[in-house]
Amino acid sequence: MRQTRRLFALLVRAYIRDRTALFFSLVVPLMLMVIFGYLNLGDFGRVGLAIDDQATNQSSAQLAQILKGIETLRVRELPTDEALSMLRRTELDMLIVIPPGFAIAPARPGQTVPQIVIYGDDARPQQVAVGRQIVAQVIDRLSFAVTQTAPVIGVKEETIQGVRLRYVDFLVPGILGLNMMQLAIFSVAFALVADKQKGVLRRIMATPVRVPNLLAAHVLTRLVIATAQIAVLLLVALVLFNVTIVGGVAPLFAVALLGTILFLTIGFALAGWATTENQVPAIAQLITLPQFFFSGVFFSKNAAPELIRPITNWLPLTLLNDALREISVQGATLWDVRVQILGLLVWTLAGFILAVRLFRFEKF
Amino acid sequence: MTSRTPHSSRTDSVLVVTPIVQVADLRKRYGEIEAVRGISFFVEPGEVFGLLGPNGAGKTTTVEILEGLRKADAGSATVAGVNVVADPSGVKRRIGVQLQASAFPDNLTARETVRFFAACYDLDVDELALLRLVELDERAGQPQAKLSGGQRQRLSIATALVNQPQLLFLDEPTTGLDPQARHNLWDLIRGIQARGTTVILTTHYLDEPEILCDRVAIMDEGNIVALDPPRKLIDDLLARGFTKPVLQQKANLEDVFLALTGHELREG
Repeated sequence: MRQTRRLFALLVRAYIRDRTALFFSLVVPLMLMVIFGYLNLGDFGRVGLAIDDQATNQSSAQLAQILKGIETLRVRELPTDEALSMLRRTELDMLIVIPPGFAIAPARPGQTVPQIVIYGDDARPQQVAVGRQIVAQVIDRLSFAVTQTAPVIGVKEETIQGVRLRYVDFLVPGILGLNMMQLAIFSVAFALVADKQKGVLRRIMATPVRVPNLLAAHVLTRLVIATAQIAVLLLVALVLFNVTIVGGVAPLFAVALLGTILFLTIGFALAGWATTENQVPAIAQLITLPQFFFSGVFFSKNAAPELIRPITNWLPLTLLNDALREISVQGATLWDVRVQILGLLVWTLAGFILAVRLFRFEKF
Repeated sequence: MTSRTPHSSRTDSVLVVTPIVQVADLRKRYGEIEAVRGISFFVEPGEVFGLLGPNGAGKTTTVEILEGLRKADAGSATVAGVNVVADPSGVKRRIGVQLQASAFPDNLTARETVRFFAACYDLDVDELALLRLVELDERAGQPQAKLSGGQRQRLSIATALVNQPQLLFLDEPTTGLDPQARHNLWDLIRGIQARGTTVILTTHYLDEPEILCDRVAIMDEGNIVALDPPRKLIDDLLARGFTKPVLQQKANLEDVFLALTGHELREG
């Protein structure tokens, strides 16, 4: 304990003096957040539309068919409950509910016009506006085809109230997860492989230092830096973008640090395997880049090609980002994200076993 | 105190004190290469013992086995009363090690570097006193990376002394240093010996062991080919009828260099 504490005190001090490492572990994530926060990447892409066909008749099928044929739309048939929860997670932009008894037919006097309900995602107003335009046009076309006169179907618009999810709300947990991954893998792998190459580890192994204490000091150092990084990122997110963290800061820290530990094991495994500093960036990129794109950092994890989604949905960073996002956006508790936490623990165990097998201090 | 006769290195001589290092039939092979081929020797407490030989002779392997950094294939080695094979960590507690290339953790000052190694031994030390011993106390707050080559070697020796070792291993301590820094380091090594610490020194420079070592072992191809005090090795060679092709000069170029530039250190 005492040995760990003393080594930790020196390692933290050395880490903080390393301006380059500090720059990469603090300034770069902040830059990413600010750039993407203002860039509003959520504006891009097609409009995700769900149809809840409660009528299931010829007319509703016809409407759905036409909508599915429009390229700008990504149409899926979903029950309202499921679609609404996806809307809240910005996995969908719009939902159209076709009520029972819906018909494309001239209205008889005294009969109420069938009302289609459209739900729109507040966070992506551009997509919703485009989607509404399209739907309105389709309905107009259908109406005119029947009556040649006024529309027979009214459109009633509603937006989801309560959780006002903007793109930056979606982005912040993703940036948080991404940076835990980068910090843990790169800082450990680079530092230890450099130490290995320069003979620092060899010199240390000529002392009777207890290796678990030394490793614990390295891990603690990274956890302290990670904690500081989370705090700074959240602070900037709050001040600059007025991000709401529905589920509270404590569970967010807990999950982010669990993710850090997971990626530290991968960092140690990499440091154990690599013999020169040149190997580190190549392998580290190989590990981090797919997760950078497919784990829901800047856009939904569903952007991954459908074929590989069964894999990408279980990548460490996907699990971490899902859990962070559920907590921060949906207000989930740790218990609500237990599946993701379990998944992170399984990955941590796997990484730990790999690190122990690859990282042999006696070799140096 | 035992009298160190020129013949004390012979295995048949009677030992009065227990040797601090005892090596018997030590062997180490890396794949096809037999790096150490069954060597035996001992080191007496308090002496400066030199291990010489060309590259690949097996000196570094031998030293690393004694330091507990490498496992021997066969034979036995006892260092400071501890069986190296059975208890490498026990050996590490009793010895101090200066490796060939002195490398320290990044971004620490000289003083913090000493503290780091003290923490590795789980000991509290007077860091400044150790730095004063190697004449670095004025550089205590300086980043170790900013120290000159000679200063780094002295810092390296300071870190090797944190546990007040009975035995100090120095692996080519003066490689890459200018003549002033080398002479300064020799004085330091003599001072360490005067404090009662045994020193095992490996080096490429042959003037070094001639000046510093009580006895030297010369290794070649994994064997010890000679082991005696430097003076005796020279006398034995002359007795075999060896003569130098040119007459011994009364001074050499290094003497000229030092006479012109002085003995003072030129650092930082």
